[in-house]
Amino acid sequence: MRKVAIIGIGITPFRARYLDKTYFELAFDATKLALEDANKIGAEITHKDLESTVYGIYNELFERQFMPDIFTNSYLGMNNKPGTRVATGGATGGYTVRMAYAEVASGLSDLCLCIGLEKCNDCYDEQTGTTTPEVLNAIAYSADMTYEYPMGMMAASSYVSMVNAHFEEFGNPTEEHMAYVSVKNHGNAILNPKAQSPMKITVEDVMNSRIICYPFKMLDCCLYSEASAALILASEEKVKELGIEKPIWITGVAAANTDCFIGNREDMGRLYSNIYAAKAAYKMAGLNYDKIKQQIDLAELHDAFSGQEVISYEELGFVPFGEGGPWIEKSFEKPGEGPWIDGELPCCPCGGLIGCGHAVGATGIMSTGEAALQLRGDAGKHQIAIEKGRSIAHSIGGPGAAYAAVIVMANEEGLKKP
Amino acid sequence: MSEEFQAHEIRDRIKIDYKYTFGGQSRFFIELMKNKKLLGTKCTKKSCGKAWMPPRINCSECYSPADWIEMKQTGTIEVSTIVWYTTSAFIKAIPYGIGFIKLDGADTALLQGIFSENLVPSKIKKGKRVKAVFSKEREGKMTDFFFVPEDEYENWISKAEFEGGV
Repeated sequence: MRKVAIIGIGITPFRARYLDKTYFELAFDATKLALEDANKIGAEITHKDLESTVYGIYNELFERQFMPDIFTNSYLGMNNKPGTRVATGGATGGYTVRMAYAEVASGLSDLCLCIGLEKCNDCYDEQTGTTTPEVLNAIAYSADMTYEYPMGMMAASSYVSMVNAHFEEFGNPTEEHMAYVSVKNHGNAILNPKAQSPMKITVEDVMNSRIICYPFKMLDCCLYSEASAALILASEEKVKELGIEKPIWITGVAAANTDCFIGNREDMGRLYSNIYAAKAAYKMAGLNYDKIKQQIDLAELHDAFSGQEVISYEELGFVPFGEGGPWIEKSFEKPGEGPWIDGELPCCPCGGLIGCGHAVGATGIMSTGEAALQLRGDAGKHQIAIEKGRSIAHSIGGPGAAYAAVIVMANEEGLKKP
Repeated sequence: MSEEFQAHEIRDRIKIDYKYTFGGQSRFFIELMKNKKLLGTKCTKKSCGKAWMPPRINCSECYSPADWIEMKQTGTIEVSTIVWYTTSAFIKAIPYGIGFIKLDGADTALLQGIFSENLVPSKIKKGKRVKAVFSKEREGKMTDFFFVPEDEYENWISKAEFEGGV
C-alpha cells in the first residue's frame, strides 16, 4: 500500500440547527475550508483536482433524502468522478476515513475528498413541539426492527446497557466518574470556537441534571448537531509534487464490527470492536497496545456518552480493564495526570462529542481532522503540547455500538520516533 | 443590498406501508400469538448446540441448521435500564424499564420490556429473576409479552388485559 497523508482539513461550526443551510450547502462550506487549508500549507488545488470522494452520511431520515451523497456530489461540482457513500451509524466518520485511505493507498486516486455531513434537526416532533424526540426516533430505526425497536430501544439505552454491564463487572464507571468526563469535555470545548456546548460546569451540575436513561443524565449525553467536516487525502507522490509543508500521515487505520445484538455478546460490559480496531490500527502504525499511552500525544475519542469514554480508556489500551473510572477521578486537577487537557494523555482536547456536539457523519471526520491539526500545531486556542508527533481518532456507533474504527496519525517527526 | 436572512420551512413526512414477512423466524411469532409459547432455536451440530434467543434458523457460529425448541418462560436479567427520555414513538410511555434477559436454557439474551409495580433500578438489576406475562390481545409481535419480577407475577396476570403463559 502507498503512504497516505491528510493535506487539507475543513470543519464547519457544530450547531444545534442551521436554518440558513441545507446538508449539501454545509458540505460545500467544509470542502471549501479544506481546499483553503490545503492551499495554506502549500498545495495549489481546486475541487477540480480532487479525483474521487468518499461520503460519510449516516441517516437518510435526517436529510429527508435517500442517497444524499449524489445530491451533494452535484453541489460540490464533483460530477463525472467516483463518489461512494459510507453509512456505519455513529462510526460513519471513522469508516469513511478508512475507505478514503484505501482509495488513495490502493492507487485508485492521488487526491481524494473525504467528507462527512449531517443535518438532523429538521426532524420535528409535533407532540412535544421539539426536535429531539423525532431525531431520536429517526436514529432508533437503526435498532433491529423486529426484536429491539418495538421495545423502545434507542441510542442512550443501547450504550447504557454496556456501561451498566461494565459497572456490574468492575464497580465502575460510577456516576461521579462519568460526571468527570462531562466536566472535562464541556470544559475543553470552551477554547474551541466550533463547539456547540462549551460549558464550565462541576460534577454536581452533572449529577443534578435531568435523568435520561438510568444512570445517564442530560450532561452525560452529547447533543445532536449539524455540521460538515472534510479532509483531503493525498498520496506520498502527490504530497511531494504539490510541496505540502506539513503533511499528517495516516499510519494506521482499522475497524471491527462486533455483534449488533448486545444479548449475543459474552461480555456485555465490553466493546470488543474497540479492542480489535485499536490493536490492529496500532500494529499497522508500528505502535504497541500495552504502551500506547506513552506513544501518542492525544486521543480524540468517541464520547457520545460520558460512560462510554471511560470504558474506551480501557478498550483502547490506555489503562487496564476496570481502571478507567479511577484514572479520570484520581487525576482531577493534577497536572500531568489522567485524560485531562494538561494530563499524561489528553482525551478530546477539542471537547469531543459532549463538548462539540455529534453531527453523526461529520463527527469522526472532525475528530480525525482535530487530531491532525494538533499534530500540525494548527489547532488554535485548544492546541496542546506535541512531543511524540502521534495522535489517534476513534469512532464508534450503530446498534449496540457495534461499529468501531481507530485512526492513527503522525507528523514528520512522529514517523521517525520510536 | 443586504437583507436579513429568512428561512423557508415546510411540514413534511416520509411514510411507507409494509406487509412485512418474518421469513424463517415466522414460527416464533405465530407460536407467541396463538399459544403463548416462546420458541428459541438450537444448533443441530452436536459440538456447537448453541441455543439462540431471539431465534435463528441457521447457526451463525457454525453454519449448521438450527431446530426449534420451546424455551422456559423464566429467566435472569443480565443488564437493564430505566428510560426517562426517549423517541417520539415512546415518549408517552416513560418511564419504562428494558433489559436483556437470558431465558433459562438460552445461550443469548433477549431484549424485552421489564414491567414492575415498583420501577426502580434495584428491582430490575442484574441477577433478578423474571417471568413472561402475555397480553390477552396478541398480534404476533414482540409487544405481545413482557417480563415482570417473579414475585409480582401473580399480580400482573390477575389484571384484565394480561395473562400467564404456558
